[in-house]
Amino acid sequence: MNKDKIIIDSNLSSFFSLKDVLKYKSLLNNLAKRDFLVRYKQAFAGILWAILKPLISILVFGYISSKINNTENTAINFVYVASAMLLWQLFSSVFNDVSNSIIGNSNLFSKVYFPKIIIPLSSILVCLVDFLISLIILIVLFIISGQSIHWQIILAPLFIILTLINGFGMGLYFATINVKYRDVKFIVPVILQFGMYVTPVIFSTKYYLDRLPEWLHWLFCLNPMVGAIDGFKYALFGGDAIYNTYYFMVSICISFLFLFIGVKYFYKFERSFVDYI
Amino acid sequence: MSNNTIIKVEGLSKHYLLNKSAEQKSDTLYGNFFNGIKNLKNITQKKETQDFWALKDVSFDIQQGDRVGIIGRNGAGKSTLLKILSRITPPTKGRIEITGRLASLLEVGTGFHGDLSGRENIYLNGSILGMTKHEIDRKFDEIVDFSEVENFLDTPVKRYSSGMYVRLAFAVAANLEPDILIVDEVLAVGDAAFQRKCLGKMNDVSSKEGRTILFVSHNMGAVQNLCNKGLYLTKGRLNSIGDINDIINNYLQSGDTNKSDYKLHIPEQVTYGYACEVFIEDENGNSLIEIPVGSYWRIRVTFTITKPTPHFIVAVGIVSSFEMPIRTTWSEPSDINPGNFEAVFYNNDIFLTTGIYKIVIGLSSNVRTFHYSDNEVSISISDAGDIINNKRIINTQSGLILNPMKLTIHKTD
Repeated sequence: MNKDKIIIDSNLSSFFSLKDVLKYKSLLNNLAKRDFLVRYKQAFAGILWAILKPLISILVFGYISSKINNTENTAINFVYVASAMLLWQLFSSVFNDVSNSIIGNSNLFSKVYFPKIIIPLSSILVCLVDFLISLIILIVLFIISGQSIHWQIILAPLFIILTLINGFGMGLYFATINVKYRDVKFIVPVILQFGMYVTPVIFSTKYYLDRLPEWLHWLFCLNPMVGAIDGFKYALFGGDAIYNTYYFMVSICISFLFLFIGVKYFYKFERSFVDYI
Repeated sequence: MSNNTIIKVEGLSKHYLLNKSAEQKSDTLYGNFFNGIKNLKNITQKKETQDFWALKDVSFDIQQGDRVGIIGRNGAGKSTLLKILSRITPPTKGRIEITGRLASLLEVGTGFHGDLSGRENIYLNGSILGMTKHEIDRKFDEIVDFSEVENFLDTPVKRYSSGMYVRLAFAVAANLEPDILIVDEVLAVGDAAFQRKCLGKMNDVSSKEGRTILFVSHNMGAVQNLCNKGLYLTKGRLNSIGDINDIINNYLQSGDTNKSDYKLHIPEQVTYGYACEVFIEDENGNSLIEIPVGSYWRIRVTFTITKPTPHFIVAVGIVSSFEMPIRTTWSEPSDINPGNFEAVFYNNDIFLTTGIYKIVIGLSSNVRTFHYSDNEVSISISDAGDIINNKRIINTQSGLILNPMKLTIHKTD
């Protein structure tokens, strides 16, 4: 008989293993399905909210930015804002959901064993489905504004993945702190609210860098979402969306650094979550 | 490690740090606000903590096909042991080797979501318990059959009755196919008939298919029925392990089980007085740790009255483990003067079925209760010690009260 052997040891530590995740694939799917179904249950407009929510912010911020920028082509301005806004909302929902995922599902892992990384991973899936639905807005605006399609568009998925990495890495870090200090649920919305104004969502990176003193440029580009959003804009519209390749690379490196820190920190405390919940 | 050893535990210990200041937590918004400021100030200071060993140096082996009952009083470390074996919490020291697939059932319906339908919950719960989609598909009909809820499969479970909910939840768990099944007191829910069905299912699984079961329960009858081996924990240490009947006898004789005398918590503000102690005794006044099923028993309550009390009543209630009040007995109202008193309530008329019952004690004056205790005292009516001696079998399906009604039969034509 060939059977699994489980060793439980006091100083055994675990780390991310794709094999484990694949073994619990059906749990991952079912958790994501649950969150997705539950989110729109008993809501009159149902899944339409996945479109309405980003649409409203795009309309508001698109209008504001076209007033400030004084652009003659409003449609192009809207599609710019829409692309950045959708990506930002993807980031903010991943960041927020991942950081709350562990305590939100403590009733599960305090009763049954499974790799805990499954929980934040399932949060990502849910956010991703919402995002893909809201992409309809972007496609419609794209057509209305009469944009032509460049070859760079094949790069777009890379920057969507980069956004997920940003939200996941930071989310995991905060999810771990959240287990012990519930202050996180107040801090994350604040970070997101301010974060949007230091990220090229409504305005371009150029707009910010032109107005900021030289020594702040560095700080601005330490924001991992700068790379993701500028890259996404570049993929969709080409041109000079990536204002400064050097800063752009820095921002992308920061993304992976955050991911590394988040995962490392998560696995350091993962095993003892139950004792602090 | 011999061939058939399926679980090997060596020197297992689990340590917790208890916060001493935890008791000072405030429930009010006002209090919380100031605690918050205090916490911020104290952030650099080390909190005063207390060591607590939930498990200390526990070692044992379990062979394949064993059905092990884990017993011990509350706080002995039973649940901690199960949690470590299920990999929910890590041990502080020690090592465990488990061969085979392990599933734990520390709660029925883990992850059930009220907004999802029965069908959706079967898939969700099944996958949480470690089943693949393919396995659930294969077992689906069997699960639905066992749960008896086929007409409501597409109804959200929040609209289920609690009985249906538990049946569906257990049905999923009962159809797991692990090599080792860990079960914690989950049978405390559900009606008696369903409990029996679950025990039967577990018994089947173990005896026919050679699976290993670890079972925690305070119901000695259920443990004795299901298990062939016992593991007895006292204060986090392994007391003994061996044949289930020996272990249960050890446990019952140790006086480590339910108590027969309870010191009640004295209320912070005493108006007229308070109840001090409760004794569970047999007919002759000997203290009883477990009440043998089918026997008479009595409850002796001592209380202290500190000032003259008009229209005084002392009352005792018995509540079943399903929170169903069974009977309440009040004393005749009378005016009473300060002093120490004792009231004896005789249970000389009905026989309750086996199980744990809660005893509620109340003292009142002019119909206003001034001391009320509803979660300090419990009694256990048991056939465990008895069954070894006279093999008497109690059918718990026949009801809570074992006394038959008066019955006559006439020929009417």
